[in-house]
Amino acid sequence: MRAYLLRRTGQAVVVVIGVMVVTFALIHLEPGSAARATLGTRATDERIAVFNAANGLNRPLTAQFVSFVKQAAAGNLGTSYSLHQPVSTLIAQRLPRDGVLLGLSTLLALALALPMGIFQAVRRGRAEDHAFTVLSFGLYSIPDFFFGLLLIAIFSVQLHLLPSQAPQAQSIGGILADPRALVLPVLTLALVSMASFSRYVRSSAIITLAQEYIQVARSTGLPERLVLRRHVLRNSLLPVITVLGLSARDIVAGAVIAEAVFNYPGMGQLFFQAATSKDYPILLGSTLVVGVATVIGSLIADIAYSLLDPRIRYVDG
Amino acid sequence: MRVHSTLKAGAIGLALAMIVTACTGGSSGTITNGQSAGASKGPVKRGGTVTIAELGVSPDFIFPLPPATNQNGYNANLTEAMWPYLVYAGDGAQSVVNKDKSLFSTLSYSNGDKRITIQLKPWNWSDGRPITSRDFSFVYNLLKANFSNWNAHLVGLFPEDVAKVSTPDARTVVLDLTKAYNPDFYTDDVLSTIPLLPQHAWDKTSAGGTVGDNDTTTAGAKAVYAYLQKEGAKTTSFSTNPLWKVVDGPWKLSEFRSNGYYSYVPNPAYSGSAKPVVDKVIESPFTTDTPEINALRSGSSLDVATLPLNDIKQAQALSSSGYSIASVPIPGVAAVMPNLYNTAVGALFRQLYIRQALEYLINRPQIVAKIYNGYADPGNGPVPVKATGTWASPLEKAGGPYPYNPATAKSLLQAHGWKVVPGGTTTCVSPGTGASQCGAGITAGQALTFNLLYSSGRTTTDEQNAAIKSSQAQAGITINLRSEPFNTLVSTIGTCTAASHPKSSCGWQLAEFGYDPYPLYPNGTGFFDTGGTNNYGGYSDPTMDKLIQATEYGASASTFTTYEDYAARQLPWLWLPLREGITVYRTKLRGVVPLNPFSSTNTFEDWYYTS
Amino acid sequence: MSTAEPAVAPRGSGRLLAAAFAGNRRALVGLGLVAVIAAFCFLGPLLYRTDQVTVQLDLAQLPPSGRYPLGTDASGYDELGRLMQGGQSSLEIGCAVAVVTTVIGTLYGAVAGYVGVIVDAIMMRVIDTFLAIPGIVLLLLLVSMFTPTLRLIVVLLSLLSWLGPARLVRGEVLSLRTREFVQAARMMGGTGGRIVVRHLVPNAAGVIIVSGTFTIADSVLTLSALGYLGLGLPPPHADWGSMLSAGLDYLYDGNWWLVYPAAAILITTVVAFNLIGDALHDALGVRGQSR
Repeated sequence: MRAYLLRRTGQAVVVVIGVMVVTFALIHLEPGSAARATLGTRATDERIAVFNAANGLNRPLTAQFVSFVKQAAAGNLGTSYSLHQPVSTLIAQRLPRDGVLLGLSTLLALALALPMGIFQAVRRGRAEDHAFTVLSFGLYSIPDFFFGLLLIAIFSVQLHLLPSQAPQAQSIGGILADPRALVLPVLTLALVSMASFSRYVRSSAIITLAQEYIQVARSTGLPERLVLRRHVLRNSLLPVITVLGLSARDIVAGAVIAEAVFNYPGMGQLFFQAATSKDYPILLGSTLVVGVATVIGSLIADIAYSLLDPRIRYVDG
Repeated sequence: MRVHSTLKAGAIGLALAMIVTACTGGSSGTITNGQSAGASKGPVKRGGTVTIAELGVSPDFIFPLPPATNQNGYNANLTEAMWPYLVYAGDGAQSVVNKDKSLFSTLSYSNGDKRITIQLKPWNWSDGRPITSRDFSFVYNLLKANFSNWNAHLVGLFPEDVAKVSTPDARTVVLDLTKAYNPDFYTDDVLSTIPLLPQHAWDKTSAGGTVGDNDTTTAGAKAVYAYLQKEGAKTTSFSTNPLWKVVDGPWKLSEFRSNGYYSYVPNPAYSGSAKPVVDKVIESPFTTDTPEINALRSGSSLDVATLPLNDIKQAQALSSSGYSIASVPIPGVAAVMPNLYNTAVGALFRQLYIRQALEYLINRPQIVAKIYNGYADPGNGPVPVKATGTWASPLEKAGGPYPYNPATAKSLLQAHGWKVVPGGTTTCVSPGTGASQCGAGITAGQALTFNLLYSSGRTTTDEQNAAIKSSQAQAGITINLRSEPFNTLVSTIGTCTAASHPKSSCGWQLAEFGYDPYPLYPNGTGFFDTGGTNNYGGYSDPTMDKLIQATEYGASASTFTTYEDYAARQLPWLWLPLREGITVYRTKLRGVVPLNPFSSTNTFEDWYYTS
Repeated sequence: MSTAEPAVAPRGSGRLLAAAFAGNRRALVGLGLVAVIAAFCFLGPLLYRTDQVTVQLDLAQLPPSGRYPLGTDASGYDELGRLMQGGQSSLEIGCAVAVVTTVIGTLYGAVAGYVGVIVDAIMMRVIDTFLAIPGIVLLLLLVSMFTPTLRLIVVLLSLLSWLGPARLVRGEVLSLRTREFVQAARMMGGTGGRIVVRHLVPNAAGVIIVSGTFTIADSVLTLSALGYLGLGLPPPHADWGSMLSAGLDYLYDGNWWLVYPAAAILITTVVAFNLIGDALHDALGVRGQSR
């Protein structure tokens, strides 16, 4: 196990560096300059030169990259060109908001997907299974902007039951104190994830139910409910864990469309604004954070997976 | 969405001024003209909170004299409520100077219009100290040493044109100018860009430094300015830095968040007569208009917002849920800017007949009627006919020199040696510089194909440009459309002139990014003069320069008309309709109408709830 | 994602596949829907001609009538004709992306799985790297670099989608390469490339086809998201996502014909491809990705 962990950590570091290199290369390949994007159309050549010098943009790319890595290792992610704030502050403000939104929606999606998937597996091939399958595919296939806007149109505009925007409060406490405003955005995100989670759960449960030890358990007179709970549920959690591990990336990257539709200033919008205004520090810093979160997330998922199912041997990769 | 606001004479940013037309009785369900009809009075309920939707970019700079490269028009919105300009533009619905809210009690020109004597009102700063002429000289000294780094600076004008500033007493300022200007022009366009700043609190070079007469030396003025600009960019301290708590306007900032959400509370020491009635004004940011319209329709969170023109049919539904809607024309000019020095197509744009053909093919009345539902200025020339009606010439009011006429466009091109292929590609078959030939720099077989770069996010703009593309095709002119978020657009567009058009910033051919706002006196300074700060396409014509200068010095309407008609005919830019601003506000919130096109901030000190 | 299932799909599985497929009702429904929609999009314009290029503002936003069965949109285009036109773009892009990602992903995954150890480790780290970069960042950065054309959009979407197939194929190949027929081929002097192409890939066909089908569905959805974010193709181009997004601007004006038909056909198409992919997945007993 220890050797495995060491190996995985080494791989994780390589990936994180890879992420930084790719992002760095991409943003510098773009036409147009960060100086112009920040200073605007009236930027004179001297002002551009001053900007570039102040931000080290006239050094060779490798030198810029190395200094970024060094700074990042020391915890300094730079200062945003357009918002004039440290990138780490911006991320610290926005990340928790996505944590709340996506965390809640993932939990809700799981809470709905697990019973649904197991139920479908138990009733496999029957009318109920088909009905839920169609429902899952239907939900999965709805573009999320359409779904969100439709929910707003019905529940906010027509029925005046719920607010049309996600909570606008600054702090987590403030956000959670406005649960009515969380309903629609969480629902929009959850219903789509639920659809795909339930498919994983269903196929995993089908496989489990076909195993011999289930027959054994049933033949010993164990009530079906307990069979499901003790064996099937636990095994169905396995693919879910992998998916959860990957969802770390989604939480940290934010949900651009949901944030746009519900006017929620999260990481997704930060990325969008930074990318369109060539705000290199935000792009690099945020992508780095996402990259780290992804590798940590998948590492934790793999460890949890192996703990839950010791039968799985670990091949490289 | 994204308005490309350039600060001409510094006075305007977001010109969606509130126009409140609350005629007593009100029109049910229709949009009222925000400029006509006086303000209706109702029982005043003191207090309450007003939440305003802030659409698009948020402010990012709080020191009232931003650097030259900061073109964020919303900063003026943020600061004018706290540090009003010496000359306050817009009174009720009138595009005149507002005597009540301006900081001067009298302003007179003498000595052949070369001497301006300003009497300041006996007002105080929020910390109790009086506003004095020293505050004016403080601003003057700062700008004198730093005007090249001030975004509202107009080349050759304040402070360069000031020979001497004297302050005979604490309430009098005497400016001696180097030449005589048209007083309307100077008061309306130049003095309206100057705020008064608290010398007694801001005249220092560091947070711990002592306040003194640092501004009296050039080096000191530079140091003070640099310090204030540095502090002015720190968004995290907008509401906490003691500097920004010293205000002379009706409001002070109580909160500012990094996503652009900010709020004001009344300044209890405000000396003016229009003291705030409501307790708090909140600016709530929206990145696009969809969540804004959703919030309006759901009725609970917004009190005041703008209505995007593609949603104009919502007016009925909104008015039955307690809102009123009013329109106000925006004083500005909307246009497609050609890059006269683009290496590929600059030569084409330098030919007037080609610009004329392009303009003849834009069906402006149809765009106004169908896309803007009638709520737009027709775009007949550089001067808007509705917003600045007094200055619009008869030529413009009659439809401008280039009404929609595809046949004329085709014959113009044919007369200059082009083979016109409607629906196809028109090419030059007779190159050369003769009268009936294509023109200098145009090669045989060259096609009329252009790229139009415009800023994304506004439905009506998308529709308008799609319509323009389609109608240009009638004469075989191909327009390739590309929309980008405003910030991305800006990163590739620079000023291109005959002398300097580097490829990195002059690859653009046609660009459209919103409109350029006008101050009270809509002459072409900065737009169509050689080297003008907003003259990105490099248009340069000695006659135009002369006519523009004449409007700066001459006082007659005919001087202005001469300039205006010449510009309308010359097409330095391709004129487009300019949408109006539609404001939605809660009916029980009074004082919002009459709306004034010229105040760059909403005058929320005039607002009050009736219930 | 690993389960304990062994790889299947021996040679000659084509007939088995077709048989299993035919028996699966969902698969038939999916295929049927795709056929109808494809006919609508590609054959429809031959029967129902409309001008999808010229803007006619006087005809903008007309409700459905005899002349315009689904009304007109904000630029005056016939909405029914535009759905056909939009469908062509959406389907073409979806299928093109599926083909490109399948080819690239398969080759990449096969090479990684077959050559193994160090090369494999490097190639997999590359995939992990791209997986860790948020798709939206990649899209935004790449879109601003070039003027969007149909070809470019295909390239962009492919860049986001090739990772999944690559990993799956690699997993398949890893387990296949120890099988007997591969040893046999080696002993008979087959080179690496030949083995990959002639033996491994066909046996991984199940995984490849399933993944390709799901990619079509996902690309159509991602394209619609691009349209919503304003990063799609400029006018007068049409695709379902942009049509839906533009129509939603007028949702409250009661212009339902600009919203629901586009949404319906978009959702139905994505569901249909998912049904097909799901049925193929069941029929082949393919491990790994499921829906």
